Amino acid sequence: MIQALLSVGLVAASALGVATFPRSVLAFLLFQGSLVFVYRARIPELLRWSLLVVALLVLMPVIGYFNGYYLEVATQVGIFVVLALGLNIVVGLAGLLDLGYVAFFAVGAYSWAIFGSPHANVIFGGGFPLAGGWFYPFLVVGLCTAALTGVLLGLPVLRLHGDYLAIVTLGFGEVIRVLANNLDKPINITNGPKGITPISRPPTPFGLPYGEYFYFLVLLLVVVVVIVNRRLENSHIGRAWEAIREDELAARSMGVPLVRMKLMAFACGASFAGIMGVLFSAKQVFINPESFTFLESIGVLAMVILGGMGSIPGAILGATVVTVLNLQVLKGFSLWLNELKNAGVTVLGYSLADLPTQFEPAKYERMVFGIILVLMMIFRPQGIFPARRRQRELTPHGS
Amino acid sequence: MSMDFELLVRIFPEVLLDGIILGFMYALIALGYTMVYGVLEFINFAHSEIFIAGAFIGVEILLGLQGRGLLEGFPWPLVLLLALMAGMAASGLLAVTIERVAYRPLRAAPRLIPLISAIGVSFFLQDFIRLFESLWRNAFNLVYPSMDALNHRLELTATIDVSVKSLVVIVSALLMLWALHLIVNRTKVGTAIRAVAEDQAAASLMGIDVNRIISLTFLIGGAMGGAAGVLFGVQYGLINPYSGFIPGLKAFTAAVLGGIGNIPGAMVGGLVLGLLEAFAASYLSLLTGGAFGAEYKDIFAFSVLILILIFRPKGLLGEVVRERA
Amino acid sequence: MALFEARGVTKRFGGLTALNGVDFALERGIVSIIGPNGAGKTTLFNVFTGLYVPDEGSVTFRGQALLGLRPDQITALGVCRTFQNIRLFANMTAIENVLVGMNSRISLGLWDVLSHSARFRQSESQLATRALGLLDRVGLQANANVVARNLPYGDRRRLELARALASQPALLLLDEPTAGMTQGEAGSLMRLLRGLVADLDLAIILIEHNMRVVMEVSDRVTVLDHGEKIAEGSPREVQASPRVIEAYLGRRGAAPRGAHGA
Repeated sequence: MIQALLSVGLVAASALGVATFPRSVLAFLLFQGSLVFVYRARIPELLRWSLLVVALLVLMPVIGYFNGYYLEVATQVGIFVVLALGLNIVVGLAGLLDLGYVAFFAVGAYSWAIFGSPHANVIFGGGFPLAGGWFYPFLVVGLCTAALTGVLLGLPVLRLHGDYLAIVTLGFGEVIRVLANNLDKPINITNGPKGITPISRPPTPFGLPYGEYFYFLVLLLVVVVVIVNRRLENSHIGRAWEAIREDELAARSMGVPLVRMKLMAFACGASFAGIMGVLFSAKQVFINPESFTFLESIGVLAMVILGGMGSIPGAILGATVVTVLNLQVLKGFSLWLNELKNAGVTVLGYSLADLPTQFEPAKYERMVFGIILVLMMIFRPQGIFPARRRQRELTPHGS
Repeated sequence: MSMDFELLVRIFPEVLLDGIILGFMYALIALGYTMVYGVLEFINFAHSEIFIAGAFIGVEILLGLQGRGLLEGFPWPLVLLLALMAGMAASGLLAVTIERVAYRPLRAAPRLIPLISAIGVSFFLQDFIRLFESLWRNAFNLVYPSMDALNHRLELTATIDVSVKSLVVIVSALLMLWALHLIVNRTKVGTAIRAVAEDQAAASLMGIDVNRIISLTFLIGGAMGGAAGVLFGVQYGLINPYSGFIPGLKAFTAAVLGGIGNIPGAMVGGLVLGLLEAFAASYLSLLTGGAFGAEYKDIFAFSVLILILIFRPKGLLGEVVRERA
Repeated sequence: MALFEARGVTKRFGGLTALNGVDFALERGIVSIIGPNGAGKTTLFNVFTGLYVPDEGSVTFRGQALLGLRPDQITALGVCRTFQNIRLFANMTAIENVLVGMNSRISLGLWDVLSHSARFRQSESQLATRALGLLDRVGLQANANVVARNLPYGDRRRLELARALASQPALLLLDEPTAGMTQGEAGSLMRLLRGLVADLDLAIILIEHNMRVVMEVSDRVTVLDHGEKIAEGSPREVQASPRVIEAYLGRRGAAPRGAHGA
């Protein structure tokens, strides 16, 4: 009863807090924290899910109205949630350490970027960009190209074990990045470091502003992807993946076709990244190779590890925490530090204004990822929300 | 076409020299990867930062001397020696610390766990170096101060000349490699390291303190990486906290090329990769009429890595990849 | 035509010849393979199930050549095994382990899973029923939802058996199934095996060290030593064979332990 009251209270209070103090990073963090609390609290399922639905579908857009940046953060979180869920299949379920996951994201992004912008005219001579409405079918195109890339990468590489697989996928990710950076000659496919812009956006339903449109679209995709993940997990495919992760030799000997299942894991994981890539380019209107580096691959890995390998709520939590850390906490810390500097604050006799100008906390994402990875591995390798072995109610059908 | 051919021949000695220097550098870094893999069957992902940390210590020493107006005053071999020693010591100690803190607690865990930890350490160190230099010097893209003596060019033949700097780098690298060879093959410690690499259980039954040997392996491998870092800085001039990543990955390729876990293999692999890369960088552009230029040299190394791991994982000098029953 | 036949199987590892021209055939029932440690018994199993490729020889099952097939393909054909060192999926529950064993008999695709089609739901529930049935058969139905790593040792061996049975094999290869069991547990496992052979029309090849079990349950016994078959026949015949005795104990003349029903 107390938890129920607390849940409702926290959500309402924090939402109100954000509305009152739109610039306060703390208020927004509290709002997000309240959602986590609602997820874990011991309250009736109906209450839990009603609160979450209201918070995500109503409160969040309203908050977005007060501070557009928060909506942006929420959308980015959503994008990374899907990426984390995709990598979760590869690393968490099947146990294949892919360090070049961002390559699939890049493939999806560039597929819409090229055809949804005037850039394709450089290659094909005319007729582009495709109208914004093509965005929707291209979500499928992105899915397929990324899945295909996953299979192509997987085929030669899947009989490698653990460490070697990791390094090869890393190398592959780097190859994609260098290609993106350099395929502007002899044929200009990617336009190199200059990137591609402007990328068409689809017309929005009900004349929604783009901020809200992408937020809801991302939310929808998150729901779809979670359902897909759940279904995969609770099927012979998911069980086969887990068996492969547990003991490849035994899995093989029990009739699990290793190569086919691993390829399927790669393709499924890649396809999520592909879809989000297409969405990402339409949302950003401009992409360049800078968004698709090793840093991003490790970032998504950190999300999966933090949340818990193989765990859907874990992937969601991990993506949220890491994205918020980078986009809000670090950045907020940077801004706050600047304010303190300008105000001439001193700490222990040392004036903050004397801090070297090159020191910008917002740039220290790698340190954050690094600390997360090392600490998690040493203290809690199973993650914050470890995958729980689901106790399935196994009632025989009709007997 | 004939003009192109003449060009190809003319630049050959320079390309060869570049390749050798690059090769020795890769070899020194590769040694760190291969020695650790030999004793632990573990890829020390953070070795690329151990390498660049050495470069930073070196640059701090040199900048420090320069700041006091002492750089041109001291004989340059002494200055370089100081930088090298400092770089090696710092990197070696860094490697040992990392092993104690981030890897040893995870030794019994499934292999992916320490690997992920190593990745974490690598990332952490990149930004840690950035943090340190930002606070200390308000800059983290640093340039090695140039020393007149080193920039002097010697004429070897009528058409070929080489900078003193290049010669110094080559000679230093050779000395390091030779020293390592002596340590590994002629000392008790080296024998112990080889024993632990061969069979940890048997070695410990023979009375070898395996933990101590592992730490020593990290120390030596790290020191080699640190030396490579200083030489890298001297040779190429510009360093930043993120410039260890790519050379590290390539050096790992070199280690695998030569046979991971195999010390002579790391040297051979390093040289081969360095030469291949130098030739690819210089000739690829000329041969393809500018379509694929030197920027593709990175892909070249990665492709080599992917191809070896798929087709000949035991490398040139072949280390038996243990069959997991 | 024999159900399962291996001829002239030879396997070398560098300078060591682990198996040298071994012939083996099985029609039905339970055949035990015995021999001193290092005789090559598990190596033989590994060849049969496709984990090792022999240097010479042939292996056929129901007339089909098994050489060159992958282990999962061999399992799909109807040959399944257990392992000497129990290789369960430690972090999956007992029933999940058994369900994995059924993988080769499932013909559903990705689309069925994603759409949760009626076919899929029906299949999952049928699989669950069958899995519970198998667990019941080996006496583990009470522990269906226990994570494998938390099961006691004897239960783990039985779970491995249930998992191997899940693929509906016609031929089961059991590698030291009674290792670590008490005589009572071993006896009850043997009765179980006998029941399986009768009910499921199953043939079993057993690697065993427990002579009492071997004598009690086998229709035939094959003896390996240093990679070669040195004797074959009924349990009694093999027990009395001087070559066998010599292989186990050197030239001393005492019979293998446990053979006198003690």
